Amino acid sequence: MKKVSVSFTLNGDSVKAEVPATWTLLKTLREYFELTGAKEGCGVGECGACTVIMDGEAINSCLCPIPEVEGRSVTTIEGLADEDGSLHPLQDAFLKNNGVQCGFCTSGMIMSSKALLDQNPDPTEDDIRTTIAGNFCRCTGYVQIVESVEMAAKEGK
Amino acid sequence: MIDYDYLRPDNLEEVLGLLKEHGPKATLIAGGTDVMVKIRNTKKAPEVLVSIRGLKDLRYIEKKKDYHIGALTTHRMLEQSELIRTELSALHDGASRVGSVQVRNVATVGGNICNAAPSADTAGPLLVLDAIVFMEGPEGKRSVPITEFFTSTYKTVLKKDEVLTEIKIPGEMEHFGSAYWKHSRRKAMNLPILGIAVSLKLEGEIISDVRIALTVAAPTPVRAYKAEDFLKGKPLSDEALNEAGKIAASTECCSLRDSLRGEAWYRAEIIEVYVPRMAKLAAERRSK
Amino acid sequence: MEEKMPDHLFVGKSIPRTIETDKVTGKAVYIDDLKRPGMLYGKILYSKHAHAKIKSIDTSKAEKLEGVRAVLTGRDIPDVRVGFLKDQTVLKRDVVRQFKDEVAAVAAIRPEIAAEAIDLIKVEYEKLPGVFDPFEAMKQGSPLVHEVDARGRPIKSNILPLPWKFEVGDIEQARKDSAYISKDTVSTTWVNQCCMGTSGCIAEFDQNNNLTLYDQTNVIFGHIGRITEYFSQIGLRGKKIRVVNPVVGGSFGTKLDTDIYEFIAIQLALKTRKPVKILFDREEEFQALPPRQPAVFTIEQGCDKEGILTFRYCEAVLDNGSYTSWGATTPSVMIMPMSSLYRVPNVYFKATCVYTNNIYAQAMRGYGNPQATFAVETSMDTLAEEAGIDPAEFRLINRNRSGDDTPMKLKITSCGLEECITAVKEKLNWDDKKGKQKGRGVGMASLIHVAGGARVTKSDGHGMMIKLDEYGHVDVIESGTDQGQGSPTVISQIVAEALGVRPEDIFLTFGDTALALWDAGTHASRHTFMAGNAAIGACAKAKRQILEMAVEQMPKIIKGGFKRKKRKDPEFVEPALDFGLIANPEDLDIRDRMVFPRKDPDHPYFKLPLTQILQNGLHVGTGQSKVVMAEEFYDPPTEMLNWEMKGNLSMTYAFGTCGVEVGVDEQTGEVKILKLVSAHDVGKAMNPTLLLGQIYGAAYTGVGYALTEEIKVRNGRVMNPSFRDYQMLTAMDVVPIEPVVIEPIDEAGPYGAKGVGEPGLVPTAPAIANAVYDAIGIRITDLPITPEKILTALKERKV
Repeated sequence: MKKVSVSFTLNGDSVKAEVPATWTLLKTLREYFELTGAKEGCGVGECGACTVIMDGEAINSCLCPIPEVEGRSVTTIEGLADEDGSLHPLQDAFLKNNGVQCGFCTSGMIMSSKALLDQNPDPTEDDIRTTIAGNFCRCTGYVQIVESVEMAAKEGK
Repeated sequence: MIDYDYLRPDNLEEVLGLLKEHGPKATLIAGGTDVMVKIRNTKKAPEVLVSIRGLKDLRYIEKKKDYHIGALTTHRMLEQSELIRTELSALHDGASRVGSVQVRNVATVGGNICNAAPSADTAGPLLVLDAIVFMEGPEGKRSVPITEFFTSTYKTVLKKDEVLTEIKIPGEMEHFGSAYWKHSRRKAMNLPILGIAVSLKLEGEIISDVRIALTVAAPTPVRAYKAEDFLKGKPLSDEALNEAGKIAASTECCSLRDSLRGEAWYRAEIIEVYVPRMAKLAAERRSK
Repeated sequence: MEEKMPDHLFVGKSIPRTIETDKVTGKAVYIDDLKRPGMLYGKILYSKHAHAKIKSIDTSKAEKLEGVRAVLTGRDIPDVRVGFLKDQTVLKRDVVRQFKDEVAAVAAIRPEIAAEAIDLIKVEYEKLPGVFDPFEAMKQGSPLVHEVDARGRPIKSNILPLPWKFEVGDIEQARKDSAYISKDTVSTTWVNQCCMGTSGCIAEFDQNNNLTLYDQTNVIFGHIGRITEYFSQIGLRGKKIRVVNPVVGGSFGTKLDTDIYEFIAIQLALKTRKPVKILFDREEEFQALPPRQPAVFTIEQGCDKEGILTFRYCEAVLDNGSYTSWGATTPSVMIMPMSSLYRVPNVYFKATCVYTNNIYAQAMRGYGNPQATFAVETSMDTLAEEAGIDPAEFRLINRNRSGDDTPMKLKITSCGLEECITAVKEKLNWDDKKGKQKGRGVGMASLIHVAGGARVTKSDGHGMMIKLDEYGHVDVIESGTDQGQGSPTVISQIVAEALGVRPEDIFLTFGDTALALWDAGTHASRHTFMAGNAAIGACAKAKRQILEMAVEQMPKIIKGGFKRKKRKDPEFVEPALDFGLIANPEDLDIRDRMVFPRKDPDHPYFKLPLTQILQNGLHVGTGQSKVVMAEEFYDPPTEMLNWEMKGNLSMTYAFGTCGVEVGVDEQTGEVKILKLVSAHDVGKAMNPTLLLGQIYGAAYTGVGYALTEEIKVRNGRVMNPSFRDYQMLTAMDVVPIEPVVIEPIDEAGPYGAKGVGEPGLVPTAPAIANAVYDAIGIRITDLPITPEKILTALKERKV
């Protein structure tokens, strides 16, 4: 197994992963760093449960070869709440507005939404739906997820 | 078990050197949304992956005399470019319908056409925008019109030791209005059942020039030349457009098949309906 | 179960899901995230054919692969039959009957190694003719899917020996008495539940061969029953089984049976003496997970001149696939809409389940009701048209009413059907739109579903235990499964309300059979109803214990306080208090963490914190210390279905109506939903925001069922095993849903609540089909209603 050493910023910390070159960012997060928030829902970039933010952009970590993460900045769901435990407005909104039911899609859903709000603090419903089009959810019918993102956007203002 | 070397050269010269060094053992990877999926689904991988993702020099959208798009421009960049949206609308339509935001953030337009799926969402738009594809290899640079780029399903003229560098669209396409329709069962995360791209130029009510491209209608993305010939010089009327649609859907222009995603007869119906609709949309956009 | 408090503090409020904060911070542990020390990873080798003899299996290369710890085939484990009809074994020895058939299994130290080992196993097959259509399979001379039954007796037909036949009244006479009759054939196909978390479990044995199964099952005790039976046949009789739920990534019916992969994990764990995890990838989830039961219905209904229903006659054929799981029991639920949706005096329903070499089905949200309601509600519209009566009016004429006793013997208590139909009419502007638009149309359909438990097993019980520590924390040990619907929040609201504490004081454990009492299962939309009633019972007992403790402790506390004051301040005069106010537990109450006398809730001395009572009751120093712990096992006074398929199996029933306005693009056949009204009678909304989540989510799944979703099966093979090609809807497929909540408080429900998990998706498909008919005069009777089907019908009409 050809291994690589990849140095990058993970949730604000400088880290180094020594893993097989064939590993994806998702596998590295879940198995090397034991950050299991990002999930494998399909493994082929279709469901979005593995979504994390890399250099400000939402990506499917299941398709991201770990060598590509060298020198980059990655944020996962675990990096969202403050050190003192206070929740990001998105996390808070999802709990208040029933944007989370079984929760499997939630990490990816919130990270996609965060990438949106960081770039566009005042999104329309269309913007939100386009943003989460690649995040599948079977529980909610998406309505309360969209409402949660809208609530978080208002909160942020 | 799958094992490969993952190399990340800094510039094009290095890339070409690595391709030469490793020959058939190496495959290029850009955004990874095609290559990584293929590796996972086939359980096979090349011995060496040469990543061009870091070649920032090949990531640009510029307008000089012509439009120049670097091969590593992501679909997201195309989607968010005001220039592309207003002046090369079909390309905006196509790029913004690829996968999801997560996919578009990393997947490149070069990768989209090099993968050469008959359904590639940027292929139809590029065909109707008279795109020219630039490649570079050990023997130097060359270019071909996009109409000659696709040779067969998943195959192009790009050689194994070459890299796609740029897609150029002639400046005069500014005077065309264009549109692309991706027909799919749901509004996101689908491969198209059928893709229709149209670009046209109007002189008064008369269509002075037109291009029509179809995807998932033949082994490669194709231009519907017979339908274009018919439409040139005709007015932008329902009668003319409907007839053009019929010609485009016929065996004169495409070879429709039944497949998992759709049946041939339905694809023909969609072509007949959407050639007129996209022509009208293209005309609307032109008048802006 | 009435609550006599002036108004509720928590029940009926939209309390946020703070209790589930782990889900938004990435901390929640799903089966995917769970690891046990020394754990191995299991993978399954599936059949390459729909029907074939297994000539040989060569596992030698797989066994030699480094990192592999076990390779099992059918020859390595006892050939024990499992499943509802005991018609399959865990690993197939001689014959494969479907592509999903499990032929071998591997356990290895890493999942990639297990996958590679699977690829190294060589199986030699001899193909056999397969049958893929239930109507073909019913015929004489069809290839037989099974040769012998569970007892080894030869089988001569592919028709399953299941007793699904219901008959009430005189159909023939009713036909003669009918002024109008309509007949339709409708069909539904396989759809996947699409849980975002795929199937998986970890099996782990202790030194003495007692099993712990970490599993997403919704029937933790049902699992134990089935595994116990399995154990008794593989030399593990008497061994203890513990089932523990991790956080569950969605269920939608997938977790109600004990599946083959679970037995395989158990066998691999037994062989390797290590914990073994099996986790499906998404492709496997589409190919190897039993989906929703398909069905073909021929249905006939009649009514008199006034539009009153005279009879309903229906025969259904179910493609049972190659083995039997809960799909084959869906007729026991189909009988509910067949016999009891709307008032109909004469009913005949017969369902025939047929073996084929296709995939077999299990439960999915609605459990046969969506399929049967598609038939009934299509027929209601066609009959209304025959009779020249508006379909909404037709439904109102025949609506169920409170107090009805249906042909199936269901006792209708609370019933909001009239309000639901009326609300839908109003919100759709029905009278202005029906039959009056071109290319746009309105349609509706209603539902009946169990909403107060469902006695499908002899016990429909649900147990709950609660205990308090002396800091006021309440531990609730729930015996159901939290599948994401919001149970922790709702139950903490109910417990807080009933006990007099706050929701944030409640800490819940779900799904652990070592701790929980017993539950029939989190299915049939029963959880809130059952757990809520159990909670109210347990809280009443716990409250009693607390108040008995209070009666003893409060005078001591108060007098002790006065003594201390007197010591500090000799001038202090003890007030004259009527200790009679707090002399009896019945005279006290608890609210918002405070204990107080009912007759004087703001008494300056007699209102004390609950924690103080608890601490004083525990730390007494006299050998008389007490803890507070109570349980309630709630098994409602309902009936099982008898051999005639009759019985009041639930305490109450949910009603609802879905109304849709659609636009149809006649050039492309595409249907666009302009508005969807989802009206439900829920008894009482426990938590309005959570309730809406169930309505939205179910309605959305229903739209997928109606328009886009289908598992494409060709000659037994699943052709679209990915999200790319399986058309589950995305956030961009907007459906404007307007929910309507009707609250006819139900006496049987906790605070008046009825179940609501499934109703949302039951009537969506026929409502859409009816609306399409109104829009373009084309009735599609075969789900999903695809553009291709509409376009084909439009073209045929032109000809």
